[in-house]
Amino acid sequence: MSSPSAQLHGDADDLMPITPPLDEESPFATMMSVFDEAAEKLQVEADAYAILRKPDREVTVAVPVKLDDGSLAVFDGYRVQHNMGLGPFVGPLRLDPRLKIDELRALAGWMTWKCALLNIPFGGAAGGIRINRDRRSRGEVERAVRRYVSSLLDTIGPDRDVFTPDKARDEEIMGWVMDTVSTHDRHTTKAVVTGKPVVMGGSLHFRDAVAQGLTTILALALAHQDMDQGHGGARVIVQGAGSVGGNLARLLHEAGHSIIGFSDITSAYYNEAGLDVSALLEWRDRTGSLAGAKGEFERMTNEELVLMPCDVLVPCAVANVLTSRNAERVRAKLILEGAHGPVSARADKVLHGAGIPVVPDILANAGGMVVSYFEWVQNRQGFAWQKEVVLKRLRRFMTEAWSEVAKLQGEREVRLRTAANMLAVQRVAAADKLRGIYA
Amino acid sequence: MSTGSATAGQPASIDEFNPFQAMAQRFEVAADHLGLDKGLREVLRTPDRELTVAIPVLMDNGSMRVFTGYRVQHNFSRGPCKGGIRFSHDVNLDEVRALAAWMTWKCSVVDVPFGGGKGGVICDPRELSLGELERITRRYTTGIMDILGPDRDVPAPDINTNEQTMAWIMDTYSMHVRRTTTSIVTGKPLNLGGSRGRTEATGRGVMLATREAMKKLGLRPESSRVVVQGSGNVGGIGAMLLHREGYKILSMSDMYGTVLNESGLDVPAVLAHLKKHKRLDGYTEAEHLPNSEQIELDCDILVPAATENQITSANAERIKAKLVIEGANGPTTVAGDAILEDRGIVVVPDILANAGGVTVSYFEWVQDRAGFFWTEEVVNARLEQVMVSSFAEVDKRAQEFGVSMRIASYILAVDRVAKVYRLRGIYS
Repeated sequence: MSSPSAQLHGDADDLMPITPPLDEESPFATMMSVFDEAAEKLQVEADAYAILRKPDREVTVAVPVKLDDGSLAVFDGYRVQHNMGLGPFVGPLRLDPRLKIDELRALAGWMTWKCALLNIPFGGAAGGIRINRDRRSRGEVERAVRRYVSSLLDTIGPDRDVFTPDKARDEEIMGWVMDTVSTHDRHTTKAVVTGKPVVMGGSLHFRDAVAQGLTTILALALAHQDMDQGHGGARVIVQGAGSVGGNLARLLHEAGHSIIGFSDITSAYYNEAGLDVSALLEWRDRTGSLAGAKGEFERMTNEELVLMPCDVLVPCAVANVLTSRNAERVRAKLILEGAHGPVSARADKVLHGAGIPVVPDILANAGGMVVSYFEWVQNRQGFAWQKEVVLKRLRRFMTEAWSEVAKLQGEREVRLRTAANMLAVQRVAAADKLRGIYA
Repeated sequence: MSTGSATAGQPASIDEFNPFQAMAQRFEVAADHLGLDKGLREVLRTPDRELTVAIPVLMDNGSMRVFTGYRVQHNFSRGPCKGGIRFSHDVNLDEVRALAAWMTWKCSVVDVPFGGGKGGVICDPRELSLGELERITRRYTTGIMDILGPDRDVPAPDINTNEQTMAWIMDTYSMHVRRTTTSIVTGKPLNLGGSRGRTEATGRGVMLATREAMKKLGLRPESSRVVVQGSGNVGGIGAMLLHREGYKILSMSDMYGTVLNESGLDVPAVLAHLKKHKRLDGYTEAEHLPNSEQIELDCDILVPAATENQITSANAERIKAKLVIEGANGPTTVAGDAILEDRGIVVVPDILANAGGVTVSYFEWVQDRAGFFWTEEVVNARLEQVMVSSFAEVDKRAQEFGVSMRIASYILAVDRVAKVYRLRGIYS
């Protein structure tokens, strides 16, 4: 620990230089292997392939912040814009002490495919600040976000690049972004960022958008697989109890499905006769986690939970839950990726071999992006939609995307993931080709 | 109501076959009915702005050529200008001016909040490579950049320009202004901000205009025999939609010939044949006639949806239809009009009957501004609403002024522009 920053600021991890290690099962490698497969199946021309594989633009900015103790710290800020063929860029603003530009590149690409697949007129972007928000005060984080946004003013805007939240709890940060841009613009600019508090132009149903989308896809996938839901609906394991997993468990329970497995980072519970979801969610709301909850269930680890028998497994927590190391032992009949990249590239092939369909993240968890888009539309119109309208339109977008993926999967006899990526890559390549290269 | 001279500002000799002179004559008649003063007439005749640009282009063989391009904005009182861009060797400024004025009246009749504009580049697209066309388009766009914009002037496809051309314009404009600007141009591909239902919009408008006229005349589709001149985007789709509504389509045509089946054509089969063979020749379920005989066929409804000057002083006496729906621009001459009117034949004029295209262009612009895209059902329902209410408005003027639907449509259009002009006043 002899770097100047370490001397200045102790062992603050957000100020240390980082060389990103990229292992084989990194989300970036996962995304690119799927993209390559889709591009190959589509016989994408070499020129188009070269354009699609590289981000359009990467901006790095220094983010100087006056710390609470009066000293100055300079954080790293990035924005990667992957492809603008279909419209303005859109993507998350991530605050993370281990932020790597490679990860942002992958995420930006991911956003491009997701928007294209859902027929949303955006290209993908991703950005963030390498800062540890748990160790920084709220004031320090706010100053960092505002300075970062000011440095990017020439790059962002409602028709240029739109920020979305990285985490469900990021409302407040999104509010700062909107205020900073509006102050500079000398007029209210809401559509530059989504996931804002409702009073600042946030869309209704933003918080449970991903879960609502997953619920829609689950019903469509069950029907498509001819999986008889019987009297008690499907038997579902939901890994994760945050804004995605928690809302999903609630929605599926309300829809008459049986949640037989449920977990968060602290605990995992299983009962093949069905869990009392309401009681568990109440416990989580009261205590902050599922730890120590009481009821009729078996306690196990998260690793064990995802291998338990069920109709549908929905990993909604972290990446790489299923890898080449455990994919062979999966006993689900259908998997929906609620999180980003919970199934690794190798695991995907193993599961395919075992005849277990995986509905890929860019389709399954796209509800959040769809409602982000809706928020942008509402902000541009200056007119907020009612809850029912948001929900009805969200279901329409999810259903259309599912139908197109299922159709292509049948025609080309490929995995759902490949079909989804083929559709997405095809649309972006077509738009790039139509627009041509502006010289 | 009639004051002033109907021929003020007209060229000395009137050519029956010049559709722009016909438009100008009809404007003057409408202005007479409205009692417009001389100054306002002058304003409405004169384009607000005209721009001529040199377009230097590096050709594929390494040489340099300079093309000439125009953009005329006829009148922006009612909103940004709207109108096509054509690439053709016979583009000239006079024609572009007339077409721009035409667009002002058309937008006004269907009450879309646009003024009229038109543009063109003198070039022969058949002699140009795709790359050369792209470079012409981009340089032309750059040249007229300062007068373009979603709230200034919004181009659209026209002769020899298409979705691809519009995509280039959108890309060039977006790169210049550093932001995605889909609403700068309409007629774009679906995945770049185009509208659903646009391809068939003009044909659908023709069908709706026919339906409204039938109601007015108390006729029923099942007992109506239709002759459609043309089989392209307007005639073909129009015939298809009329066929679906239960009309009996007796005859259709392309540039090479006419098909006729007295008991009704199987329109989907005709269009399938056309798609496969590129011409109607060889379609077996019909008689084949030369095009010169088609227009005088015995029928109830005639839909000229091909080119201008089809019903003239030379043949108007022999038209058998009770109802003429103008799918094309300017298919009836002024002299032809007078004869049809004498004979009690109702003509639904071009600026109303074929305005479905510009209406859905307007919808495309609205959707692009909102960033939210309508389903095809919504587009079609809103188009229907516009066509039905515009038809009713024109019909109301026809009763009120005791004139043909043609003159009534000009009265409605000119009145709307004149009213807005007076309200806005002259900014000096």
